[in-house]
Amino acid sequence: MLAEQAIIRFENVTKQYDEDPPVLDDVSFEIERGKFYTLLGPSGCGKTTILRLIAGLTEPTKGNIYFNGKLVNHVPANERQVNTVFQDYALFPHLDVYENVAFGLRVKKMKKADIDAKVKEALRFVNLEGYESRKIQEMSGGQKQRVAIARAIVNEPEVLLLDEPLSALDLKLRTEMQYELRELQRRLGITFIFVTHDQEEALAMSDEIFVLNKGKIQQRGTPTDIYDEPINRFVADFIGESNIIPGKMIKDFLVEFNGKVFECVDQGFHPNEPVEIVIRPEDLEITEPDKGKLRVRVDSQLFRGVHYEICCYDEDGNEWLVHSTKKAAVGEEIGLHFDPEAIHVMRLGETEEEFDKRLESYREVSHAK
Amino acid sequence: MQNRTRNIYLIPYALWIVLFVVAPILLILYYSFFDIDGHFGLVNYEKFFTPVYFKMALSSFWYAFLITAICLVISYPTAYLLTKTKHKQLWLLLIILPTWINLLLKAYAFLGIFGTYGFANAVLGLFGIGPKQILFTDFSFLFVSVYIFIPFMILPIFNALEELNPSLTDASRDLGASPWTTFRRVIFPLTIDGVKSGCQAVFIPALSLFMLTRLIAGNRVITLGTAIEEHFLVTQDWGMGSTVAVFLILIMALIMIVTGIRR
Repeated sequence: MLAEQAIIRFENVTKQYDEDPPVLDDVSFEIERGKFYTLLGPSGCGKTTILRLIAGLTEPTKGNIYFNGKLVNHVPANERQVNTVFQDYALFPHLDVYENVAFGLRVKKMKKADIDAKVKEALRFVNLEGYESRKIQEMSGGQKQRVAIARAIVNEPEVLLLDEPLSALDLKLRTEMQYELRELQRRLGITFIFVTHDQEEALAMSDEIFVLNKGKIQQRGTPTDIYDEPINRFVADFIGESNIIPGKMIKDFLVEFNGKVFECVDQGFHPNEPVEIVIRPEDLEITEPDKGKLRVRVDSQLFRGVHYEICCYDEDGNEWLVHSTKKAAVGEEIGLHFDPEAIHVMRLGETEEEFDKRLESYREVSHAK
Repeated sequence: MQNRTRNIYLIPYALWIVLFVVAPILLILYYSFFDIDGHFGLVNYEKFFTPVYFKMALSSFWYAFLITAICLVISYPTAYLLTKTKHKQLWLLLIILPTWINLLLKAYAFLGIFGTYGFANAVLGLFGIGPKQILFTDFSFLFVSVYIFIPFMILPIFNALEELNPSLTDASRDLGASPWTTFRRVIFPLTIDGVKSGCQAVFIPALSLFMLTRLIAGNRVITLGTAIEEHFLVTQDWGMGSTVAVFLILIMALIMIVTGIRR
């Protein structure tokens, strides 16, 4: 038998409690070895449920879960080669840092000397040398986070699950930990599955992102894929800020919205098919009112530090969000310029499969050219 | 000014404590120094260290220990199951309900149930086991005592289990611990405070049980509580009764200090 590349495989997995609508609805995916995955979605989208299913803390209602090619639906959590960093860290308050990290090894009845060496190494890995005898209550949020990571990786799992581990930290520490986690994953070389509702975190750290909503995977792909080519309104809205406007695809490379026809780079639609247009706020450039492709009036402006967030309205009443380093005057008319590449056209109600097929087809066309 | 008004609010409480807690204890202490003929001295204290009272103290401890142990063994799993049920508040209410009924009434009810022609013997009869002497035995004494004290054990353990963060048991399972190991290494150590206060709430009153010893155990079980009652009401030796009470108070204080230490 071929060695399976996928370490975890979900096959039509559904999870449902009582008569409520399913938390996870017929989800299938594969997780490859040694990559950093992120499950991204709003609360209640089913991302934590996926994590608990992988950890073995809950069982699927329907469908199968494979680990290294073996069916693990009914394998209890304590018999899985997976460890979790919990959202609230779940550190044992009655044990000190050393004993928390040693917990998994003690349960496995490892020799004292081996435990000692491994715990020390794990604590060194997360920069917590010398904290062995500290009480958990005496540790700061960031330190607890590191203890939780050390406690998980000391068991040498094949997959590390992280359930929103950064959500309780302040902004600066969170950014720092993002770098550290990414670095940690590279050094360990194991699979990380990271759950978050923070799109910036997901974009910054992942090899691969699964965007989830209402118990279904909306889109999967690399951070740039998902940011540049969102499949639908939900993804476009959830990942970064977007201007989403209804439009019509006249023919390949020509799209109409706001009563005007614009050049674009999308194709593979029916003639005159109604579509939705996405333009990212940072792709809009402020110019003189007559020089831009669109003419809008500035409604309000916020200073965000890196840029100004300017909210404008066009004559049709569509809202346009602009990110610009240049300041605009509220109440004034301005022009907005954008490149054809800045326009992303979304087909209404397209599934992930159809979307991938369409992208594939026009990649072939552009290769043929 | 503010401090003074706050002190005024404390007056009723302070009065209560002084009149009904401090003063009686001082009185008991005072009486304990007088022997049956009204002579001042340490005679009563010497008497307490004779084998008779030593045996009584030991038997008090032994029964209180048995009652506490049985209560704990029954209550922990019950409290644990209770936290897992759907309508926990309802079940909890049903468990607490009997404590609202007067102790004496419950004791009399058991006289009926355990009597020669009572319900218990009727059930035994169905299995062909002829009428047995159930009342006035160690068994009936322990059974009724445990029945009376169980809610006081379940409640604190239930609260401790409810406070336990469920992600800690998830974490333990995640780290490879079986359900039993999880209980031994995580759940029990983290609910030990509940167990301690439960034991306190059962052991201390069980030490001085006296009414049940007469009604249910037919005076076969003699505890320090029975001794105090006897001295005050039967032999009229208030001094000796007080001395026993002083020791009982000391023992209770000691137990509270030992079991009350918290992290």
